[in-house]
Amino acid sequence: MLIEIKNLTKDYLMGEVKVPALKGIDLKIKKNEYVAIMGPSGSGKSTLMNILGCLDTPTSGQYLFNKMDVSQLNDDELSAMRNREIGFIFQSFNLLPRMSSLHNVEMPLIYAGVNKYERRKQSVKALERVGLAERMMHKPAELSGGQRQRVAVARALVTNPGILLADEPTGALDSKTGLEIMQLFDELHHEGNTIILITHEKEIAEYAHRTILLKDGMIFSDLQKNLNSKIEKQTP
Amino acid sequence: MDFEENIKVAIRGLIDHKFRSFLTMLGIIFGVASVIAMLSIGEGAKRQAIAKYQDLGVNNIIVRDKELSNEELEEVRAKFSLGLSLNDAYVIKEIVPGVVDVAPQAEKNSEIRYADKSSKSTLIGITPSFIKILNYEADKGTFINEDHSERNLKVCVLGAGVVKTLFQNQDPIGKMVKIDDQWLEVVGVMKAKALFTETVGELASRDLNNDVYVPLSTFHKRFEFDNKLTSEIKQITIKVDNSDQLVETAGLVRGILDRHHYNNDDFSIVIPFELLKQEEKERRIYNFLLGAIAAISLIVGGIGIMNIMMATVMERTREIGIRRAIGARKSDIMSQFVTEAVAISITGGIIGVFLGVSLSLGISLLTDVSTLIRVYSIIIAFGFSVIVGISFGYLPAKNAANLKPIESIRYE
Ligand SMILES: Nc1ncnc2c1ncn2[C@@H]1O[C@H](COP(=O)(O)OP(=O)(O)OP(=O)(O)O)[C@@H](O)[C@H]1O
Ligand SMILES: [Mg+2]
Repeated sequence: MLIEIKNLTKDYLMGEVKVPALKGIDLKIKKNEYVAIMGPSGSGKSTLMNILGCLDTPTSGQYLFNKMDVSQLNDDELSAMRNREIGFIFQSFNLLPRMSSLHNVEMPLIYAGVNKYERRKQSVKALERVGLAERMMHKPAELSGGQRQRVAVARALVTNPGILLADEPTGALDSKTGLEIMQLFDELHHEGNTIILITHEKEIAEYAHRTILLKDGMIFSDLQKNLNSKIEKQTP
Repeated sequence: MDFEENIKVAIRGLIDHKFRSFLTMLGIIFGVASVIAMLSIGEGAKRQAIAKYQDLGVNNIIVRDKELSNEELEEVRAKFSLGLSLNDAYVIKEIVPGVVDVAPQAEKNSEIRYADKSSKSTLIGITPSFIKILNYEADKGTFINEDHSERNLKVCVLGAGVVKTLFQNQDPIGKMVKIDDQWLEVVGVMKAKALFTETVGELASRDLNNDVYVPLSTFHKRFEFDNKLTSEIKQITIKVDNSDQLVETAGLVRGILDRHHYNNDDFSIVIPFELLKQEEKERRIYNFLLGAIAAISLIVGGIGIMNIMMATVMERTREIGIRRAIGARKSDIMSQFVTEAVAISITGGIIGVFLGVSLSLGISLLTDVSTLIRVYSIIIAFGFSVIVGISFGYLPAKNAANLKPIESIRYE
C-alpha cells in the first residue's frame, strides 16, 4: 500500500470558530493507481490533497506513506518528502516567473543536492517527456497556459516521485488544452506513475480508474471504473 | 541548496531591482565611506603628531628659561638666581643618572644680511652635542662641530628659509654673511623642516627654517644680549637612555635646578614624549567618538536593509511557498535571504570603500586636514558592513523561513 489514511480530520480555525473541513477520512491507495477526486466546492478536496502532499498537517488521524507515519516527521523530513516522494501540480501552475522553464524544472533537484551536470540532464529529459524541449529557455510569461502546465508537470516528474498529485490541473485551461494535459497524465500513468487528481469535470474524471466523491468533508462514494461497481461506500 | 545557486539568485535580484537595491545600499555606502574617512582623518592627525614630537626627540627632556618681564627678571636676579646656565647643563649631565648627553643652547633675535637682502632670524648658539640629540641634518656642507666650538670660529649654519630669502639660487657655502655687527662664514645649510606651527606644551611655535646656528662659544664671545639680565642659556635639551625613566629623570632635574635657582620659578620642563602620550590619549577618545558616529550610520544602513528585506519577504511569500512545496527546507530559505542581504551589504560596502577612499583623498587635497588611509580601516569598514548584512538580514530571513508552506503558496 502506497498511501494509507485512517480517520483523518482537519479543522480550520477562523478566529475562535472551528471549521471542520475533513470529518474522518479512511483511504487506501496502491502503487500505480489513477484516482480522481470529485465533489462540490468546499467539500474538502484541496484540503485532503494538501495533506497528502505534506503541505499541510491533519488535525487528527493517521497518514502512512509507504508505511511511514508522516505525522512523526519533522519539518526538514517533510521537506525531503515533498522533494523526493511527491510531485505536486497546481491549478495556477505556480512556476517561478523570473526563471526559464529549465531552471524551474531544475529547482527540486537543486534542493535535492543533485550536481549541476546531472540535474541539467534530468531536467532536459523531463522537459522532453512533456514535449517542451524547444521551450527550455523561455520564461513562464513567454509560454501558453498549456505549456506552463507542462513545465509544472515536468517539474513534478523530475525527481521520479512516488506519487503525482494534481489539484484541478486543467482548471485554468481551455477544454482542448485541458484534454491534452489529461492525455499526458494518461501516458504517465501507463508508464507506471501513481496519480491522484482533483477535478470538477466528469470527462476529465473519465480518464481515472477510480473516482472518489467527497461531500461535506467525508467520502461519499469510491468507485473502481474497470470493475464498474462500488467497492466501498460511505453514507454521510 | 548549493551556495552557487544562492549567490546567483541574490545577484539576479540585485540586477532586477537596480534602483531599489541602490536605495537599500545607500545607508551602507555612507556608513562604510564615513568609517573610512573618519579613521583616515584620525590616522593623519596621528602621523602629524608623531612627526612633530619626533623632531623634539622622544627620549628628550627640554628645560627652557621662562620668558620673564624686566621687573620679574630683576626680582629673580635679586633672589640670587642666574637663570639657566652652562653650569646647570654640566651638573645635570654629571649628576643625574640615565642622562646620555645634554645640549645647551643660547638664543637671540638677530638680523642677518647678505648683499642687499636681510632676514629676521633666531640666532642659536649650540654645542656639537646638539646634532646628536635632535634629529637635525645638514643639507649641504657641515653642521657645527668640535673644531668650530673649540676655536670659537665665526661660522654659521643657515636654516632653509634663511637661505631662500638671502641667496635664492646661489650656493651659500663659503659666503660671508653679516649677523648683527659680526661677519660669519656659512659652512652648512639645514634641510627644510616641517613648519613648527603648533605650540607644544610650553614651547612656543616658531618657524625652525628661520634659525641660524653658530657655536655656543662664538655666540657668547661675539654677541651680546639686548638685556644684560638675560640668562646665559635659553634651553637645555637632555637625552635620557630609557624613555620609561623620563618622568623620574625630569623630577630629579627639577630638584637640582630648583636648588641652583634658589627656588625661583624661572624655568619650565617639557617632556615631548609625555605630551605625545597625552595627546594620543585625547585623540583616542576623539577618534572613538568619530568611529562611533560612523558606526551608527552603518547600523542605520543595516536597519534600511532589514526594512527592505521585510518588504521583500512579504512580496515574495508566494515564491517562498512554491520553493517550500518543491522541497526547500527552512534552512534553504533562510540562507537564500541572508545571502541576499549580504550581497546587498557587500556591494554597498565595496561602493562605500571607493567613496570613502576618494573622500579621504579629497579632504587631504582640498583642505589642510591631513588624512592617511590604512588597510586596517578598510578591513574594519568592510567587515562591519558584512556583519551588518548578516545580522540585519537574519530576522527577515527567519520570517521567510518560518512561513507555513500551505499558507504562503495560497498568498495573493
Ligand atoms: N485556510 C482556510 N481557512 C479557513 N477555512 C478554510 C481554509 N481553506 C479551506 N477552508 C474551508 O474548508 C472547507 C474545504 O475547503 P477546500 O478548499 O478543501 O474545498 P475544495 O473541495 O477544494 O473546494 P473547491 O472545489 O472550491 O476548490 C471549505 O469550507 C473552506 O471554506
Ligand atoms: Mg479546491
